[in-house]
Amino acid sequence: MIGGYLGPLVIVAIVIASASVAGVAGRLVRLSLLLTLPIAISVVLVSVFTRAGTHVVFTIGPFDATTEGIDFAGQTLVRLLAISTSIGLFGITTDPRSFVLDLERRRLSPRFAFVALATLEAVPAMVERASVIAAAQRARGLDTEGSIRARIRGLLPLAGPVVLSSLTEVEERSLALEVRAFGRPGRRELLWRMPDSRTQLAVRGALLLALVATIVARITGTFPQLP
Amino acid sequence: MLHLSGASYRYAGYSKEVLHEIDLVLGDGEIVGLVGPNESGKSTLCLVASGLAPASIGGSLRGTLTLDGQPTAGLSTYALAERVVVGFQNPNTQRSGIAATVFEEIALGPMNLGLPVAETVRRTHEAIARLRLEALVRRDPLRLSGGQAQLVGIASLLAMRPRHIILDEPTAQLDPAGTRLVGDALRALAAEGTSLLIAEHKTDLLDGLCTRIIAIDDGRIVLDGPTATIFDDPRLAELGVEAPSRARLSRALADGGFDPSVVGAALAGGVA
Repeated sequence: MIGGYLGPLVIVAIVIASASVAGVAGRLVRLSLLLTLPIAISVVLVSVFTRAGTHVVFTIGPFDATTEGIDFAGQTLVRLLAISTSIGLFGITTDPRSFVLDLERRRLSPRFAFVALATLEAVPAMVERASVIAAAQRARGLDTEGSIRARIRGLLPLAGPVVLSSLTEVEERSLALEVRAFGRPGRRELLWRMPDSRTQLAVRGALLLALVATIVARITGTFPQLP
Repeated sequence: MLHLSGASYRYAGYSKEVLHEIDLVLGDGEIVGLVGPNESGKSTLCLVASGLAPASIGGSLRGTLTLDGQPTAGLSTYALAERVVVGFQNPNTQRSGIAATVFEEIALGPMNLGLPVAETVRRTHEAIARLRLEALVRRDPLRLSGGQAQLVGIASLLAMRPRHIILDEPTAQLDPAGTRLVGDALRALAAEGTSLLIAEHKTDLLDGLCTRIIAIDDGRIVLDGPTATIFDDPRLAELGVEAPSRARLSRALADGGFDPSVVGAALAGGVA
């Protein structure tokens, strides 16, 4: 049974070491914590106080915090960290457009590639649009500063324009793509090839093998118990 | 030749037609300017003349669009794209968002046409040279100024090498130098046989570029004729369209008791 702390912590260590080599360790840690924190808070609360256990560490009102609950929360947290650091490192070090175009070279449909990329870029684009609209509205006297309540009251009216203008832009962009024959069936000859060294190829192969082995071990229960 | 015959168009979900009985012919190598007040139907006419309405955006079209003698009804948008392209007002929406550099952005159209890499690269270089975008080729298309993005958007269309080009306010975000650059490029394309329809508020650009001007109001063609005739027509002002500087100067001279043709000839000869 895969579990415990060692496996996820080893992954976190490897990922952070890789990030250090790439010079992005600081960014990665900040990003991972940001990604993990909201889920971590709820996981800790739910696990610590609701998981059944025999040894009560402390009590808050009707809720008992048990050793088993704390242990389960700890194991879940390190797994979450392993996931968020891995995804974070990928996001920080990989240009999404290069990634998607390389997937297309590997026979992914151009339409699927576009949808994948549009999804990856939708959030930053929407944030940028929201800040432009917010700045324009502030210039016209909308109060978006002050207390959290005041900010929410100020920002709520912006939600409509942000969403509607994003939808309009998506429609216009899809028209502009159609004008450039994006919907044409058949393969496109791409202009470039992503550099792919033998080392990268070997590492990818090893990771793929490790993934398959882990899944098999998980299903068959032959993986040794980790501390 | 692009021929729109008796075209009336209604957007999907609306009961009212926004274009009424439009007859429009774009001859090979002809540059036609399209003017009219806001909401007169210029952008819709661009969509209909390109075939995108109704092929892509739906709606209902009465009348026919033929390209080089072939009816477009039933053609897919990618089949249309090989013959006619349309550029929109907002340069931000012209960018695909999937190209990492300006070069790749301009190359996207030819790539989509399934051309060999060598041909795609050749067309891309040609479009870049036409609009003198060499300094931008390695830039991220998402990090360009409005004017630069507009030039890249136009270059992306030119790289498709269509027989017919429709542009909706192609110089809206361009400075005078950029506007002249686009004008020169379009003139060169027309000389090679490409037909162009240009919806523009900058009548000075159209005055020096177009052989014919069409004025549209409330979805109907109200004026259609040679550039000088239409821009000298006083009805243009009633539509809220400002005549180009040349026409306004000529009118002011005439109002002042001067003979515009004599002054014009003198100006052209450098006497004044």
